[in-house]
Amino acid sequence: MLKFDTSRKRLFGFLFLGWILLILSDRIGELRQYQGAFVAMYALAIASIILLTGYSGQLSLGHSALMAVGAYAGALSINNLKLHPAIALVIAALIAGLFGLLLGYAAARLSGPYLAGTTLALAVSLPTIANQFPILGGEQGLIFDIGVPPARLGEDFSLYQWFFWISSLTALIMIWLLVNLISTRYGREFRALRDNPIAAQLSGINIGRKKAVAFSLSAGIAGLAGGLLVMLISGVSPSAFPLSLSFLLLAGAVVTGVYSLKGVILGALVLVAIPEIAESVVSRIGGSEGFVTSLPGFMVSALLILTVLFAPSGPGHLLHHKKHLKH
Amino acid sequence: MNQFITAVLTSLSTGAIYALMSIALVLVWRSTRVINFAQAGQAIFTTYIGYEVTIRSGSYWVGLISAILSGALLGAGIDRFFMRPIFKRVTSGPIVMIAPVVATLALLGIIQAIIGFIWGLNYQTIQAPVSTDGLKIFGSIIAFSPFNLMVLIAVTLSMILLTIVFQKTNIGLALRASAYAPEVSKLSGIRVDAVRTLGWALAGAAGGLAGMLYIPGSYLYPNAMDVLLVFGFIAAVIGGLDSLFGAVAGAMILGFAVNFSATYISYKLVFPTAFVILILVLLIKPSGVFSGKKGRKD
Amino acid sequence: MIRNTRMKRLSIASVAVTVGALVFSSLPAQAADPGVTSREIKLGYSGPLTGSAGLVYGKLPGAMKAYFDHINAKGGVNGRKIKLVSRDDKYLPTLAATQTTNLVLNDKVFALVGALGTATHSKAYVAASLAKKNVPDLFVNTGFSGFANKGKYPTTFTILPSYAMEAKIMAKFIKDTPTLAPQASFLIAQDDEFGVDGVNGFKLAGHKFAAAPTLYPQGGLSAALAEGALTKLSAVPGKPVLVLFGTTDTTATILKAAEKLSLVSKFTWIAGSVGGDANTLLALGVKPATINGALAASFFPDAKDATDPYVKAFMKINTKYNKGVTFDNVVLQGMNSAMLTVQALRAAGKNLTRAGLIKAIETKGANFASAGLVPLNYSATSRVGYNGYWFGQLNEKGELKPFGGKLSVYTTDSSSNTAPTASSYERKPVPKNGVPRNS
Repeated sequence: MLKFDTSRKRLFGFLFLGWILLILSDRIGELRQYQGAFVAMYALAIASIILLTGYSGQLSLGHSALMAVGAYAGALSINNLKLHPAIALVIAALIAGLFGLLLGYAAARLSGPYLAGTTLALAVSLPTIANQFPILGGEQGLIFDIGVPPARLGEDFSLYQWFFWISSLTALIMIWLLVNLISTRYGREFRALRDNPIAAQLSGINIGRKKAVAFSLSAGIAGLAGGLLVMLISGVSPSAFPLSLSFLLLAGAVVTGVYSLKGVILGALVLVAIPEIAESVVSRIGGSEGFVTSLPGFMVSALLILTVLFAPSGPGHLLHHKKHLKH
Repeated sequence: MNQFITAVLTSLSTGAIYALMSIALVLVWRSTRVINFAQAGQAIFTTYIGYEVTIRSGSYWVGLISAILSGALLGAGIDRFFMRPIFKRVTSGPIVMIAPVVATLALLGIIQAIIGFIWGLNYQTIQAPVSTDGLKIFGSIIAFSPFNLMVLIAVTLSMILLTIVFQKTNIGLALRASAYAPEVSKLSGIRVDAVRTLGWALAGAAGGLAGMLYIPGSYLYPNAMDVLLVFGFIAAVIGGLDSLFGAVAGAMILGFAVNFSATYISYKLVFPTAFVILILVLLIKPSGVFSGKKGRKD
Repeated sequence: MIRNTRMKRLSIASVAVTVGALVFSSLPAQAADPGVTSREIKLGYSGPLTGSAGLVYGKLPGAMKAYFDHINAKGGVNGRKIKLVSRDDKYLPTLAATQTTNLVLNDKVFALVGALGTATHSKAYVAASLAKKNVPDLFVNTGFSGFANKGKYPTTFTILPSYAMEAKIMAKFIKDTPTLAPQASFLIAQDDEFGVDGVNGFKLAGHKFAAAPTLYPQGGLSAALAEGALTKLSAVPGKPVLVLFGTTDTTATILKAAEKLSLVSKFTWIAGSVGGDANTLLALGVKPATINGALAASFFPDAKDATDPYVKAFMKINTKYNKGVTFDNVVLQGMNSAMLTVQALRAAGKNLTRAGLIKAIETKGANFASAGLVPLNYSATSRVGYNGYWFGQLNEKGELKPFGGKLSVYTTDSSSNTAPTASSYERKPVPKNGVPRNS
């Protein structure tokens, strides 16, 4: 009874959030719509990291590569199979998930630093493989065109608002599904896996398979986020998925508080906001070219370290903790 | 035939540089059980210091020594004032598992940003101290210069030095002991903390040396050694992560595989080859080709 | 239950943050075209200022800005001062898309000028809705022939000859030069639009290489691999022709490998326009003796030739407004694009609109004064800038002198297999004081 209640409340929460975003999308300018679409895409990508790291205890630096897999699958579906963009996004998730499953079986045998290093190598090598196959368009890549917004939305409805809608809706649905998933037995098993793998094994959980499934799910979500990313930049190419993207996502996840899906929006907002903050700092105090271009990276890294040191469970946890102490 | 000889020689030079990076990773791993992703940043930062000193003093050798010394200092400093507080503060929750990786990655970002602040992002060059022209053997010029020879000698010497330190000295004994059984070592009076810092210092020095040997054949910019970090890691995994000998052997295997597949099949295969080797090793013999010990789930 | 309320609190907090971050938005002005006031014209540049691409091209926006400063000091264009906003995209598509969108929506620039990079700008063009907003996309600095496609890029004007044109003219040059024609020739190219467009150009010209082109991924040719590649080719008898199509750092890596293997004089080197920047090659440690005698194609006068009236005028501006920056091909390229921009703005008249600017280049662009030794080809149907090259030989100082002592310019196109033709184009004289007075 109680459980049903919770999940219904959750659903209403997401619907409410969606409603707010819908209203918001009419009130903000094109630039904020575009940035908002990026926020939603990053939120989804960060959620995929949190599912993997926070809930199944695996660490990946290769999610940029998994996003690339989804992005290419989506682009090929639109360009070569002439599929509807919505279906292309589903295919992006499926193919990346399948790829993640294969990888997950290998990954399940590795722990901590080994997995980190291996996925790092994946992030470095996979995009260069895209250059090997002419069908993937080489360095120039492929176009990813979802077409103009439907005419019935009106003349003033901009492409950016359309992006914002698609990104936000996709992110909301997927994160809602994820939140529901982790509150089921499945989620509890994931957590058991993370917190005490030996006990989990003793209680009959097949660790290897569970880990592979978690990896696959995470990869699928990352692939979907990859599809959204290349929608936003209108094309896919190897250089759209640099290693720095993986780092950025991990940073977003840590800042969010890596073991809870709450506040992924916060992490995503930070990622989009940092370049802007850096820009305003630079416009105020000036500086050499090296300073200007290095500042955003410095800020992300510093934020990461501060989070690990002072709010290892994320800012939300920190607030809660403080309040707890006061009582 | 000529092509084969060239491939062998360039593989050796490439492998030697990989070896220094993978040794640096192994040293830190043994002392702290951390894969130090900041290694690429530390190495390039100290190489920038070496570059600056080389320009100011006019001597590569002074620059080389400064790079090695500042590398050791930086490594020790990072362990003392960065890694240790993190390990102290972060003791519970799942973040423990990822904190070292996240911390070293963030450190990498910070170091590279600081390089950008100080030196900018333009490409610089470091002049090699000895000739880079290929040696003439049996009437034909081969892809092996006095500088390549110097690299090989420097790497071999540092191997020998490390082996002596590890096998013949008390410090080495302490290093080995605290790597394999930190608790027991502590009980038996080894200052585990100091030994740990020493591991980081040695690794930092190896990074500085690697940079000063690698950059003259390439260019100096903040990300110049990122790729070496990946190759160094793969080499260390091939070798078993715990073994210095394994790290060197793994680096040589990788150097040969990469150069041969590129020369004889396609230049596009550099990264895929390395990745396939990594996956194969992890699937078939995850404890490393040169290690007879247990698996790697610790 | 507690968990849940906490979560609700957090999601509400997140929404609040979102709203907070988004309140700064303002409705875009719909009336006049953005970026133009009675006193100012705002232009935007997005391209690599850092990294391997920024190494050579990072100077570009500075050079454009210097020229605009010069014009502003002389009263601007129709009383309006020109302001250039430049943003670094690090040669990454995602950054190119967001930075270009930022230029349009945040900085509200009137037009883009000099955008650089194919894989980046082709995406940024669509992402920033340049077509829909009719934002003029002037003098795009890439040799990718696709940008001349008016259907796909309706507001774009290219400036550089395409890589395909370059390849076709190289092929003709090899064929017409008695010392080169009988030799085996090889291509070492970066595996992206340089390579692909270039390989197509050679194919169109019917040029047969002695082996399949050696392609390497961007930034993927280490010194060791370059040594391997050259060793392989050193077995070819005679003095083979080696064409290098790649970025400057890789070109330098290959030339240094040749130095090491003592193979510099074994080959005849032809460097593509992108990687053949002599100044940067020397700065990257290539020996002057190595580039001495190397062949390179160019459509500009040599940037070191102070007797050229355009170069002379630009050098003067560079000394005054671009302090500390060496005058080289890239600076020349930037100033030339800026000068074309000023002429286009003048030609568009006092009542400046985006549509008017595009129209002005279409109708009058072919007659703009330009430093190039080949004609500009703008018309109602063509968005192609320069369409030809002349061949020169580098000396130890990095000066490019006409091959055989006589300047011969060839023009061609990107897609047909018709051979390049000799051009008798005469440049317009350089505007007095470097300030155009066209209308």
